[in-house]
Amino acid sequence: MNILVLVKQVPDVEAIIRAQSDTKLDIENKYALNFFDEFAVEEALRIKEKLGDGKVTVATLGSRKAADALRRGIAMGADEAFQIEDPALEEVDGYTTARTLAKFIEGQDYDVILCGKQAIDDDSGAVGPALAQLLGIPCLTSIVELEIDGDKKEVIATREIEGGREIVTCPLPALFTAQKGLNEPRIPQVAGVMKAMKAQIAKIDLKALGLSPEDVKPKTKILKYYPPKKRPPVKMIEKEFPKNVEALVKLLREQEKVI
Amino acid sequence: MAGIWIFVEQRDGVIRKVSMELLSGGRGLASTLGEEVAAVLFGDGVGFLAEELSKYTDTVYVIDDPLYHHYSADSYGESLAKMVRECNPSILLGGSTFMGRDLFPWLACRLATGYAADCIDLTIGDDKGIIAKRPMYGGKVLADVTFSHVRPQMATVRPNVFTLKSPDGEKNGEIIRIEPKINPTAIRTRVERVEKTSTDRVDLTEADIVVAAGRGIKGPENFHIIEELAEVINATVGTTRAVVDNQWRDHDDQIGKSGKVISPKLYMAFGISGAIHHTMGIDTSNVIVAVDKNPNSLIFTYADYGIVGDLFQIVPALTAEFKKALSE
Amino acid sequence: MEKVDVVIVGGGLAGLSCAWNLAGGELTVLVLERGDFSGSKNVTGGRIYVGPIRRFMPELWEQAPFERHVTKEALTLMARDSSTTFQLSSQKMNQHPYPSYTILRSTFDRWFADKVMEKGAYVVPEKRVDGLLMENGRVVGVVTGEEEIAAEVVVAADGVLSFLAEKAGLRKPFEPRHLAVGLKEVIQLPREKIEDRFGLRDDEGMAHLFVGSLTKGMMGGGFLYTNLESISLGMVIGIEAINKRKPRDEVYQFLDEFKESSEITKLIEGGTLVEYSAHVIPEGGITFMPRLYSEGILVVGDAAGFGLNMLITVRGMEYAIASGVMAAEAIKKARKKGDFSSRSLASYEDLLRKSFLLKELEAFRHVPAFLKNPRWFNHYPQAVCDLYEKVMWVDENPKSKLSSTAYRALRKNILNVRGIMDILKLRRI
Ligand SMILES: Cc1cc2nc3c(=O)[nH]c(=O)nc-3n(C[C@H](O)[C@H](O)[C@H](O)COP(=O)(O)OP(=O)(O)OC[C@H]3O[C@@H](n4cnc5c(N)ncnc54)[C@H](O)[C@@H]3O)c2cc1C
Ligand SMILES: Cc1cc2nc3c(=O)[nH]c(=O)nc-3n(C[C@H](O)[C@H](O)[C@H](O)COP(=O)(O)OP(=O)(O)OC[C@H]3O[C@@H](n4cnc5c(N)ncnc54)[C@H](O)[C@@H]3O)c2cc1C
Ligand SMILES: Nc1ncnc2c1ncn2[C@@H]1O[C@H](COP(=O)(O)O)[C@@H](O)[C@H]1O
Repeated sequence: MNILVLVKQVPDVEAIIRAQSDTKLDIENKYALNFFDEFAVEEALRIKEKLGDGKVTVATLGSRKAADALRRGIAMGADEAFQIEDPALEEVDGYTTARTLAKFIEGQDYDVILCGKQAIDDDSGAVGPALAQLLGIPCLTSIVELEIDGDKKEVIATREIEGGREIVTCPLPALFTAQKGLNEPRIPQVAGVMKAMKAQIAKIDLKALGLSPEDVKPKTKILKYYPPKKRPPVKMIEKEFPKNVEALVKLLREQEKVI
Repeated sequence: MAGIWIFVEQRDGVIRKVSMELLSGGRGLASTLGEEVAAVLFGDGVGFLAEELSKYTDTVYVIDDPLYHHYSADSYGESLAKMVRECNPSILLGGSTFMGRDLFPWLACRLATGYAADCIDLTIGDDKGIIAKRPMYGGKVLADVTFSHVRPQMATVRPNVFTLKSPDGEKNGEIIRIEPKINPTAIRTRVERVEKTSTDRVDLTEADIVVAAGRGIKGPENFHIIEELAEVINATVGTTRAVVDNQWRDHDDQIGKSGKVISPKLYMAFGISGAIHHTMGIDTSNVIVAVDKNPNSLIFTYADYGIVGDLFQIVPALTAEFKKALSE
Repeated sequence: MEKVDVVIVGGGLAGLSCAWNLAGGELTVLVLERGDFSGSKNVTGGRIYVGPIRRFMPELWEQAPFERHVTKEALTLMARDSSTTFQLSSQKMNQHPYPSYTILRSTFDRWFADKVMEKGAYVVPEKRVDGLLMENGRVVGVVTGEEEIAAEVVVAADGVLSFLAEKAGLRKPFEPRHLAVGLKEVIQLPREKIEDRFGLRDDEGMAHLFVGSLTKGMMGGGFLYTNLESISLGMVIGIEAINKRKPRDEVYQFLDEFKESSEITKLIEGGTLVEYSAHVIPEGGITFMPRLYSEGILVVGDAAGFGLNMLITVRGMEYAIASGVMAAEAIKKARKKGDFSSRSLASYEDLLRKSFLLKELEAFRHVPAFLKNPRWFNHYPQAVCDLYEKVMWVDENPKSKLSSTAYRALRKNILNVRGIMDILKLRRI
């Protein structure tokens, strides 16, 4: 079974991020593999381990730090890694990312493609479904369980929906996006990390994919970044119990009018 | 004909609240633009809902067919793509729900157009295009997104962004039934069954009031005090990852970065320390109340109102106090 | 089994400095850090003196993500209802190369780890070392999770409670008097606010220390450092002193009260608490220093007890860095000889003895004992404030001569048997 996992290096939750100007962000230098992509990589490795054969490939689109996402994938156990990098891909949106990745995937033979539910930088969750659409394969988003019948080339997946879970079957090849709960991602072994740090990573540019900069023009544009409205400082209700409870109820009903 | 289309989501014959909010919001945008609003409704045995929707919109497009009983991008997406190609709406909106966030990116790609996910406001710019306001980086920054000339402009919008308004005078819109021209074999995903994990309460993402307890609740056996409070004020119960990791509650109830993002009018946190991963999920809540026994808890730098105290004392007292106040 | 030349346990300043000086050569160097990343678990107050260590890694300091260079020093003696502050604004400190900087470890150590990796060492986070591999009384590697990693030499850079030093039999178990606890909050404030409030320009910074009533007679003090866009505020209190209090208070209450004091509230007003941490500090001084090396193992930084609490400053970061560098030197030497025995690694201690590090610790040998005297933390700050208050006080009564006011106060508070004893002891430090 051939499995492809699409991974992205993103600023981690601790990183300070601010609008430097309308169009530029000031991002503190703290990056990590996208939280949801770890579940995707882990699932790929588990499928391979369970079926006892197969190959896990990780791929990313992005420059510089992007390769670290691949290294994390290799450290966890991925067999192969590709980095798509091109100056024309500095500004992308979900559409162009999917389009480029689709070009990379076309002609290759993957049974399972895994993405994260969303990348915690743009928080879009667009690339997975878009990519499946371009590849013409079925897509199941936000899965928390995946059972693969290797012979029948069929899967049963459980996805989270509001207030419940949907159990869905679909044929392979297919694309899945991983939600937390799918598995417990492994922490790479020291040996794996050392191997990953030494690994050569294959780089691919737009030309090699047969795409021109014109093809990857984004469909959306960010007009401006700005900080969220700051919450006013907390008002502590200092009264003694039970006066504090009475005061809170009064406040919520009469002043805030939310109950 | 341009127009604003709202994809109306229903499950089991119940329309999502966020869809109704969008119909209200869509009417606002439509009047700014001088365009019409249409609702798009897919399902099986949903004709009666189309009647209801016609009070709110100029047009209701409906596909009512057993093939559309369950959602699949293969059916819903394909049909919607065809309809959009025929009618060329300028804007297509849906709720930022599991379904919306599955369907919209798929469809945007199918139509080679732009898509803005999980928006918290929509306005109309000088060029009559949409400006979609959306949080990025877990809410650390907001961005205004525009669609460079591509149409339709597609966006999913969070619940509780637009306020529900009843129609001002019934519109009595036209109901247009669309025949599905889809081959059953083209639907490759098959829903085998749906398991409900929570009660009939409103989903966290759509709730007006959310009460949540974190590890301070000490164990699953104590959650009943939170549930009793929720019952009295008609709230939905949420929790933190620490609690979910301990398997005291289902992941469905988790609020935060790796759980749900909520925007209720009132959020009450009990015994929650306020880690950034958690607060990322409550950023767009209107009023935040926190009760924690540690005065240094980070949650107090985040809340609007705070009480330092023992939740086991405060929660039951709150329940009683609300009960009293609400019965007056 | 994976085999490397050097395993460094702990990716703090000590471990990373050692790795940096070994990286890029012929040695395979592996740093194992239990935190999610270097810096994630490391706590410091906030000031690093670059003077003593500048020559070690000159290229590094140029680009280092320090916060502000300190140009203003303040010391506040806190009494019950008053306080006296001494303040120094120094032009000398505002000249390149700056002598000291404020620092946030989560930023600094993370950056440092990246640099170390760029130079060719392996830094692997999320790896807790659970044990040592021993062979005939020699350390031959470490165990982490299910993995065993063999090494020619292991460097214990695992911080103050060093489990490795204990495992390797280099250190006796701690007693409360050897440790202090440090509590710290990072409070975010806009840059302009900080510069306004503290009278700073550009990247100038301030270090402000507090002694007196805030610790209620317990050994310790408070600190406030200005960072670029936040303030580090905290306290250090001796664990023995806390244990003696009856009933034992929750330590965070002291910090809360400190924050609410009139001296502090104004300074942090409108800020957002973004980080809260607690960490242990070595207080034993040179008298409680472990053995620094043995067969196949070296101990560096806090793990070796290289810390100095001199009442008004806690120092440990320079020592961590310097000892890391010297351990690297010793390892390189040992490697040349192909001998990682205790005898060969002894050159580490020789280097330390010749350096500022052990000379300073030696010079301040008596500080820990000296600081056990609670009068430094309640009586004397109160006396100074009272005297100053008296000097400045004018009321309906005729003011007496300054000299007699001062003399009376001195007689009462300082020139008595205990006071003179305390002063005599001062000479020893
Ligand atoms: C990548 C990543 C993603 C994450 N995603 C999420 C997420 O989506 N959602 C999420 O919530 N977390 C998430 N976390 C975890 C998050 O960092 C925190 O660990 C978690 O939110 C803490 O949960 P808590 O507040 O319930 O527990 P704690 O931090 O243990 O806090 C418990 C609180 O209860 C108080 N308390 C105890 N007893 C009482 C009492 N009797 N009365 C009143 N108060 C009491 C304590 O003072 C304390 O403040 C994530 C972490 C990571 C690393
Ligand atoms: C509140 C406070 C204020 C201070 N103020 C100052 C100051 O202003 N100036 C100053 O110079 N010094 C100050 N110090 C002291 C200074 O912070 C320390 O001396 C310094 O951090 C020591 O660095 P280190 O690398 O030796 O140890 P640490 O920074 O403690 O690093 C040890 C590392 O080892 C890791 N580790 C531990 N065990 C294991 C294991 N088993 N496996 C893998 N990894 C492990 C830890 O996660 C950690 O990253 C202060 C300390 C405190 C607590
Ligand atoms: N630049 C990229 N390279 C590789 N995969 C990506 C990239 N961007 C997004 N993805 C994948 O698509 C998922 C959703 O991303 P997004 O649509 O950006 O929220 C991520 O979790 C990744 O699996």
